[in-house]
Amino acid sequence: MLRFFGTRLAQLALVVLAVTLLFYWMLNLLPGNPCVAAFGGAATEEQIAECERDRNLDDPVIVQWAKWGGDVLTGDFGKSYLTGRSFGEALNTALPRTLLLLAYSQVLALGAAIPLGLWTGYKQNSVGDKIASGGAFALLSVPVFVLGLVLILVFAVRLDWFDLSGYQPISEGLGAHFRVMFLPSITLAAGLLPIYLRLLRTDVIGTLQEDFVGTARAKGLPVRHVLIRHVLRPSSFTLLTIFGIQAAQAVNGAIVVEFLFDLDGVGSLLVSWVAAREFLLVQTLVALIAAVFVTVTTMVDLLYSVLDPRIRRK
Amino acid sequence: MTDAATTAVTGSRPDVAPRQRRHNVALWVSLVWLVLVIASAVLAPWLGFIDDPHKPLSGPPEEGPSWSNWFGTDQLGRDMFARSVWGGRLSLSIAGPAVGIGIVVGGLLGVVAGYFGRWVDLGVSSLVNVALALPALVFALFIVTMLGQSYLNVTIAVTILTIPAIARIARAQALRFAAREFVTVADMMGARWPRLLFREVMPNVVPALASIAFLAMGIVIIAEGSLSFIGVSVGSPSITWGNILSSGKGRLEDAPHIALITGGVMFCTLMALNFVGDEMLRRLDVREARI
Repeated sequence: MLRFFGTRLAQLALVVLAVTLLFYWMLNLLPGNPCVAAFGGAATEEQIAECERDRNLDDPVIVQWAKWGGDVLTGDFGKSYLTGRSFGEALNTALPRTLLLLAYSQVLALGAAIPLGLWTGYKQNSVGDKIASGGAFALLSVPVFVLGLVLILVFAVRLDWFDLSGYQPISEGLGAHFRVMFLPSITLAAGLLPIYLRLLRTDVIGTLQEDFVGTARAKGLPVRHVLIRHVLRPSSFTLLTIFGIQAAQAVNGAIVVEFLFDLDGVGSLLVSWVAAREFLLVQTLVALIAAVFVTVTTMVDLLYSVLDPRIRRK
Repeated sequence: MTDAATTAVTGSRPDVAPRQRRHNVALWVSLVWLVLVIASAVLAPWLGFIDDPHKPLSGPPEEGPSWSNWFGTDQLGRDMFARSVWGGRLSLSIAGPAVGIGIVVGGLLGVVAGYFGRWVDLGVSSLVNVALALPALVFALFIVTMLGQSYLNVTIAVTILTIPAIARIARAQALRFAAREFVTVADMMGARWPRLLFREVMPNVVPALASIAFLAMGIVIIAEGSLSFIGVSVGSPSITWGNILSSGKGRLEDAPHIALITGGVMFCTLMALNFVGDEMLRRLDVREARI
């Protein structure tokens, strides 16, 4: 067990190092001096020299990367040379918004997918199942930004039920918070729902063939009880794996959704830095996102092996 | 290639159940839609009824669909039908090469890894796993930012995204077929590895790759659409579905048709691609091949 965890964590460390190095190195694809670009082309000699010192531009790339990694680990993420705003400060406001958005959308998606998946798997090929499965298939073909635009048009512009005025923290009242967060969360959840639903439905159909389900039914347990206690349980592993992957992949959707709903989260930060050509900040943020992403995926993997001992023996 | 493969699988069968017949109808509708979209995108400059998408005041600004402007007009009175077609032209001209290169490179990588196994497989698989573990859109955004916003760079970015996913599927397929009797027999008869690889294993992987091409196409169109929606794709005079939608975002109140119709065209195209891809996978009985 310990040995298994050790190998996985060592692998994780290697991947994180490789991924950050890759993104660090890719900054060198930029023509010219990144420090000149960091000031938007209007910098004095001293300013450029200061930036070059900060980023250790005289060293080889691998040494620059190592020093950058050391800075990041000690909480020094750098700053914008254009505005003087520090990276950490910007991230502090943006991160909670993105995390809340991701959490809400996962809750909504799982909350809808679990009952729907159990039911459509149980009532396989019924009219309801066909409608739900067809709907899931259609939903998979709707890009996030198209769905978001339609929801905005219907619920914010026409019906005026929700706000589009930008982010409201929970401290402003739950009502105001959810009036802003509901549509973005639904938009993001709609992309996750069909993935969970399809998977769970296939799983449920398989589990329903098992002998223990027949036994449970023969004992006279009600269908609802059998579905929730006996059928859902073996599927929770599959659900957990895909949840780990999707929790990480949802960052892609979050970028688009935050941009669409003006939420100023991490995704909006990334897009605005790209637009302002703040390459040094973009690079640090992308490397961090990638590192977090890889870590989450590995953690879910490890959790999976804690729950299911068969995995460890392979 | 894909067209031939599609006709091969949809060829008439005498005894089709009602469900099968419904699927056939949907399949034909999807194929007709795809042919229409692709033909209009390819032939756009030569088709008389498609206006110049950049010409202002083709009709009164921000008017809904009418006889002279089928899809209405935008803020500057430019014809939305022409803009949708030209937007599709750019999106498809990025997605086409990206998927083509992705299938060839990813397919070869996967088949080689699956066939040879051992350290070749280990190398390819670990690369693929790392690549698949990265957030796709963030990665594409980063590449386009660093290389610059141009047609070539956006195509490079989305191509890189397709390769690992396709390689993983090709590997799984190759692994399955490399262990089959006909490969062992050919091996025992003294065939060398290029023959085994290209004449025995590869032809069996191709159907899976052909079906995957449709699904991958949809994913690339969404990826490019997301990039241009957030303003990080090909520069501004160029028209893409993503940037039409982005400009329609601010006009939802007064001119919702700009976003709705373009979004609808995109949705139908993606739905058709997904349906054709899924049907091919089902009919060719390809397992473990979802992206």
